[in-house]
Amino acid sequence: MSIEINSVSLRINDMDILKDISLKVKPGELMAVLGPNGSGKSSLIRIISGDILPTKGDVVIDDKPLVEIDVQEQALKRSVMSQSQQILYDYTVREIIEMGWIYEGMRESEINVKNKISEVAEECYVTHLLDRSFNTLSGGEQRRVHFARTLLQINHDYEKVGHRYILLDEPTANLDLSFELKLVKLLKNKAKQGFGILLIIHDLNLASKFSDKIAILYNGALSSYGIPKDVFKSKLLSNIFGIPMDVNPETLRVSYY
Amino acid sequence: MYLKYSLNNKLRFLKKIFQTRYIKPKQTLIILGLLSLLVISFVLGITFGSYNIPLSNILKSTIEPIHKTVLIQIRAPRVVLAGFVGASLALSGASLQGLFRNPLADPGLIGVSAGAALGATSIIVLSNHFVPETLSGPFLLPLAAIGGASGVIILLFLLTKGFKTRGTTYMLLIGIAINSLAGVCIGILTYISSDAELRSLTFWTMGSFGGVTWPLLLPAIIIISFFLFWAMPSSRNLDLLQLGEIEAQRLGINLKKLRFNIVISSAAIVGISVSLSGMIGFIGLVVPHLARLLGGVNHSYLLISSAIAGSSLMIIADLFARVLVQPAELPVGLITSAIGAPFFLYLIINTKKA
Repeated sequence: MSIEINSVSLRINDMDILKDISLKVKPGELMAVLGPNGSGKSSLIRIISGDILPTKGDVVIDDKPLVEIDVQEQALKRSVMSQSQQILYDYTVREIIEMGWIYEGMRESEINVKNKISEVAEECYVTHLLDRSFNTLSGGEQRRVHFARTLLQINHDYEKVGHRYILLDEPTANLDLSFELKLVKLLKNKAKQGFGILLIIHDLNLASKFSDKIAILYNGALSSYGIPKDVFKSKLLSNIFGIPMDVNPETLRVSYY
Repeated sequence: MYLKYSLNNKLRFLKKIFQTRYIKPKQTLIILGLLSLLVISFVLGITFGSYNIPLSNILKSTIEPIHKTVLIQIRAPRVVLAGFVGASLALSGASLQGLFRNPLADPGLIGVSAGAALGATSIIVLSNHFVPETLSGPFLLPLAAIGGASGVIILLFLLTKGFKTRGTTYMLLIGIAINSLAGVCIGILTYISSDAELRSLTFWTMGSFGGVTWPLLLPAIIIISFFLFWAMPSSRNLDLLQLGEIEAQRLGINLKKLRFNIVISSAAIVGISVSLSGMIGFIGLVVPHLARLLGGVNHSYLLISSAIAGSSLMIIADLFARVLVQPAELPVGLITSAIGAPFFLYLIINTKKA
């Protein structure tokens, strides 16, 4: 039971975007994906989300190939938070969050939905924004609202769907330091509750402190994969990011300036 | 017991069609208000005209026979047609603005009305030369227009490989191409037309509800109603689509099906509307914006309110067309454009984000 990425390669216009990537996102685990810009992190999320098909290899979710799972079932199993997008019409924050409620199975669930919206709004510190117009929010506030929507999407009562996963593409972009930390802690909590989490993030120290597994992509290839202690080596990180980096072997804190 | 059960079932069915769960209480009030406006405009529409027939007379049935004929054979079908066309154009505008995520989209955008116009133009210009006397009649023009509209729908379907193609932008571009192709053909027909034909062409392009009869109207009403209901359940998916096509898909939406539902229903209702009443501008573009200003942007509210508002505005516009320059009659498209164009300018100037 997990999301299995089996030797996935992606080639677009004769360019190798991803080269033979194999990873596993297990329920109850937070996996951080690190790497410089253009290393293929977002493409990896797009493949797992079913937006694009890999050129080679496949993705299997809980023993079922992704291509055999219809979009609705995928949506109940995993939610995706991608980098921000503009919304044309003036929806309220509450409406945007409610867009994450896609489970139509229960008839009498209106109150239930309301409670769940309040719950995720509280978790993401956007309760006071619920009746504001989404387009008037700051970039960081908008990210938090999208995050709340992402959480609501898999907060349904349909037990049959089995394990649930959250994929996040740089959710902490635009967030101030305190919210960045709160968000990652919240994700850690979600992992403890049994969700499988794949998180693309740039802050190495947050990654080393909170993730169970770390995968580092470089030029489309998986250059390192394992628990933080095994991956966080001064020499490896220095090579990948192209600047001298120093990792404290005890605390795994990285200093690079 | 059984009655209650079946009533509950019907209610649930309606709730699902109109996605009532996502309509807020305030919006329900607005919809009810618009409905009363619709009733009022309907009453105004059938009582006023070149003959004024007081409502009290109609209700007491102390009505002169000639007035009765005017009412049933001429005025009622006209008002009903105006109502349905207004609803069609506004609903199609609202759903296309949602599908293309473009506030400037209107029913003309997918090329269906251009197709209908081409069909109508061919009949106006060519029927004298090619169609035998026995075939021409009141049905010929609308049927040709419907043929033109259907041709465009089929073309759209084939060119987008059954709406499979990625990106609605592609569909938009195809619509633009079809529009200009039809424009060329209409231009050629206009060029070779005689003076009399040119005159009826010009009037057709400005739109009118005059001369409609029940036998022509009834099938149109049935088809339009069917597709009005067909489009409604997509409202929630249109909301999710505003997050972006990829996001919508990640939320479990079948994009191909959504596009199919919206484009087919829009094409059908607009095609029939244009066929029966000619080109009527700005209702499809402006009414959804009015509805948004009134009550909010969620499509479960927007689709219904646009349809009702479009319906009553069109009846009122037609009323003006009939009474402003009595005993003559203005083309109704002239009136809607005269009101719509300034409003449109106002919208463009006040659009916050391009």
